Parts: sequence; structure tokens; C-alpha cells
Amino acid sequence: MSQTMDPNNMPFLSEASVSVEIETEDMTLNIGPQHPSTHGVLRLVAKVNGEKISSVEPVLGYMHRGYEKLAEVRTYPQVTTLVNRIDWVSGFANEIPFIAGAEKLMEIEVPERAQYIRLILTEMARISSHFVFNGAFPLEIGALTPIFLAMEDRERVLDLLESVTGGRFHPNFNRIGGVKPVAGAGPTTKKDIQDLPAGFYHDTKVAMEKVLKAVDTFEDLIGGNEVFQARTKKVGVLTKEVAEEYGVSGPILRASGVEFDLRKQSDYLPYDKFDFEIPIGENGDCFDRWSVRTSEMRESAKIILQAIEDMPSGPIQAKVPKVIKVPKGQTYVRAENPKGEMGYYIISEGGLGPYRLKIRTASFSNISILPIMLEGALLPDLIAIMGSLDFVLGDVDR
Amino acid sequence: MKSGERKTLNQSDQNEFINSIQSSFKNTSYNFDTLKINVDISSWIDTHKILKKDFNLSFFNWLSAVDWDNEVKTGDAPKEPVTPSFEILSCLSQTNSNNLVISSTVISKENAEIESLVDVFAGANWHEREAYEMFGIDFLNHPNLTKLYLPDDYEGNPLLKSFELISREVKPWPGDVDVEGMPEDSIVVEEKGS
Repeated sequence: MSQTMDPNNMPFLSEASVSVEIETEDMTLNIGPQHPSTHGVLRLVAKVNGEKISSVEPVLGYMHRGYEKLAEVRTYPQVTTLVNRIDWVSGFANEIPFIAGAEKLMEIEVPERAQYIRLILTEMARISSHFVFNGAFPLEIGALTPIFLAMEDRERVLDLLESVTGGRFHPNFNRIGGVKPVAGAGPTTKKDIQDLPAGFYHDTKVAMEKVLKAVDTFEDLIGGNEVFQARTKKVGVLTKEVAEEYGVSGPILRASGVEFDLRKQSDYLPYDKFDFEIPIGENGDCFDRWSVRTSEMRESAKIILQAIEDMPSGPIQAKVPKVIKVPKGQTYVRAENPKGEMGYYIISEGGLGPYRLKIRTASFSNISILPIMLEGALLPDLIAIMGSLDFVLGDVDR
Repeated sequence: MKSGERKTLNQSDQNEFINSIQSSFKNTSYNFDTLKINVDISSWIDTHKILKKDFNLSFFNWLSAVDWDNEVKTGDAPKEPVTPSFEILSCLSQTNSNNLVISSTVISKENAEIESLVDVFAGANWHEREAYEMFGIDFLNHPNLTKLYLPDDYEGNPLLKSFELISREVKPWPGDVDVEGMPEDSIVVEEKGS
């Protein structure tokens, strides 16, 4: 990074501020709810003193759909449709902890092949979510090129997701006890089961090679860009103590140097069978948050390539009763989603639907640190900080 | 940028943690891989301080509430009789293992108030505001106890079991009509030995 970029190395600036005394007062600035950098309908009420932000108050609820209430009047299979729409950038990953929780209460053992299919598609959802981030984040701070590359490569991954599940964004593919037979395969007999479309392994291999290439390109094009570095390095530093206290999870927590990934710690999917690493950041700034996500794409592609190599054969659906009734019990199942920890606390009273479903989403906790991170920051840095948190409003408001 | 070391689940560590929690707190349960501590409302804050300090549970996952009632207007009522009450739930975890604890306390509906956790975990702020608007629970000494999602002039607490879901009343969900074949017809349900 060039030295001239640092305002501290510009003596004429500090002199200017001493010689000119301007009385300023705080101005209230409404950012959003209709603002491109808010990823939807988040509204920030910022008090600014010139270019400096003195306080920020996020206003939520423009996207609140009341999923926790809606879940109480739905049966368990119907809730899956609902939870797809929480974090719509990675719809498939939202289903996993809910289905795993219901299976835990019903004490169903999921066939290995179904678990592998779930794992592959979850990682594809992660890659597509991080592609969106790699396009949107540089775009917000002024780099126009990456979004075209990212969207093109993301399309390949979404095509694969669509070929298996029939949906690009809202797959609704998981069933309690396994996964749905492949879309468009027609009624399958007990002998002839079609769970993955023809050519899926080959297409996946090709797409993942492209993903690995795209990550290299991003690291050169975005990470190597001097302007991008100047806008993100040492901007929006988050310490791990604050992150933990606010429940900030996922890549943001790891960028602050905490080595915590539920894929390594928990057993909701058979991640222990694969060789992959958890990228960790050192400084907890915007650059590290970008860097951790981008490295994660490479690891996800590695997981998928390993998974299609040793894909087990067998059924994709465990034996489940015709009408799904979940026995009385309470459980909390969480998963490492692209945006952080997502979990469902299911309280079942033995009925067709949950008595109460608490949905813990990653973005909600992740943006609750905005008032702290933005206090004292400069207005242009607000865009960089918000972009680096990579939140989705559906995931915030539920 | 350094890479994390490969970690595997350590069952004995987890059992040790569960045992240490169960020996420190009187009323605990461990069902479906979920460790739950039931505490009295008076020790709600102290419990969280102990869990944070002595058990290294420094990660604040979430806080929420449950409305226990047999008279419900939406959804299904519990089959067994329950005492009408609010159950406050909080979830804390560690950031170096999968250990996780759900704390629970029961408060009466007539006197729905509880001390705020914001001084122990600053992250409880928004979660408590959500529970406040959804259930009408007062969190004492909360710095900014206002509505989080709902409009300021909104009346009622939507997650109460006595709160009707109007859309469901107007148009019942066609839940009894199956749009696709039942699992038996289309999917292999029996695992065959190969």
C-alpha cells in the first residue's frame, strides 16, 4: 500500500484542521431502508459530525415475516418450505439444522448417501453465497468488475443445485429421514431410484475446477488491488471478545482470530470424513473478513470434490411413518451456515407441528455489533464495514 | 492467514463438561444432546455470570421465551395440562468446543418481568427487545427496551398463544390435502442389505 494513502502521513491535513475552526453540530442521516448497500431493507439512523459517525441505531423489521409464529401452525414437513426463505442466498443450508433437529427428536438414523447429498449441496450453497459476497462487497466500495465474474461462476453452481433439487434458491429438498428423489425423474419404483441426475459427478468436477480458478482470480483481482486494500485494511476492526459477547459467528468470528467452525466441532453432517482447513484471520478487519470467506470457497470446493469421489451407495430415505409426528421433547441443533451459526430450538409436544420454534439466525447477531463498530468511523467506511458483514435481511428479520 | 488444525469430536471431554455442569447445578436435564439448566428467577443473572466465568461459556447464542398455556388460539395445545407461565430460555456456548448450555427459568404471566442480562452479555440487548415485543415480558434495567421489529403503534404480542393468526383464520392452510404422493409410493422406504 502506498504511503500517500494514509491521512496521518499528510501533514498539511492536520495543519488545516488546526488553523480552521468550524463549529459543527451533529446531523441525523437516515441510511436506507431503500439503499443498495443495506442488502435489502435495513435502515440506519446515523448521527454524523461532518464525515465522522458519532452513533448509529439500526432500525429493523421492514422484512419481518413472523416465521416463529407461522411455524406454530404448520406441520414439520411444511416448515421446511418456510425456512428456505430465511437466508435466501443459501436456502439449502437453512433446511439442514431444522431437519436434523426433527430427526434427532424422532431418533431417525439418516442413510449415509442422503447425508452425503446434503453435505454436497450445503457446500454448494456456501460457495454460491460467498460468490454473491465477492461480487457485492467490492461493488459497494467501487470495484465494478468482480460482480460480473462472480455472477457468471455462481450460475454454474446454481445450475448444479437446480439439476438436483429443481430450485435455484428455495430447493425444499430435505425430507425428514433423507432427501427427495431428484426433480423431474418422475415416479420412481423401489428398484430404480434416481437421486442424482445423470452427469452430475462430471458437471460438479468441472464446476468446482472453475470455482478454484475463480478464487485464484478473486485473490489477484480483489485482494491484490491497492484501492481495495486501502479501503478495507485496518477498517472496522472487531476484537474477538466483543464478537463472542454479541454472538457474532461464522467467517466474521474467524476473521477475528477465533478458530471455531461447527463443521469441525459438531457432527450434524459427516464432515469428519473429509480433509479441509478452517481459514482464520489475524486482524479482524474488513480485509480479513473478505479473505476468510474467499479462502473458505476453496475449502468448500475441496470438500465437494472429495465427497463425489467416495460417494456411498444405498437408499436416500430412512423408514419414516406415513404421517410425521415428532415425539415430545426439546432440542437445539445448530449448523455452520455460510453466514454463521444457524440453529433451531424445537419444542415438540407430540403434535404434527412444533409447539414453539426458536430460530437463531446468524445475521441477526452479526449486525447487532453495528452500533459499536460504526461509532467513530468515517462515513465512507460505513459502506465497507456493512458490506464486509455480509448479511441478508431475511436472515436478520426472519 | 493461518489454517486451523484438524479437530475431532471428543466425547470424553463433552461428558466431563456435562458432569461438571450437573454437579454445580441442582436441576439439570440432558435430553436429545441438549443440556438444560433450570434455575430460579432470583439466580438468573448469577447463573449466567458463573457460566461465563467458571465454565468458559463466553459465546452468547440467543435468548427467547416460550408461552406455556393449554388454551391456545393458534397451533396445537399441549396434551398434558401445564401451568400458564412464561419460560425464558438462553443459550450460551464455548468457542473451542461443541459444548452448549440452555438456561431456563419460569416467570408468572401476571408478573412478567425479569432482570436484564445486558450487563453480563451485551449481546442480549436485541434478543430481549424481541422477547419484550413478542411476549410482553419486561426486562428490568434494560438500556433501551423498545420494539425491535414491530411498528411503534402495534398493539398486542404476536408470539403469545392467545394471539390469533388472522391469516390462518381467514384462509385455512390446506394441510390435509397432499399435493404430492406419500413417501411410500415414491421413495424406497426399506433399507435393503447389499
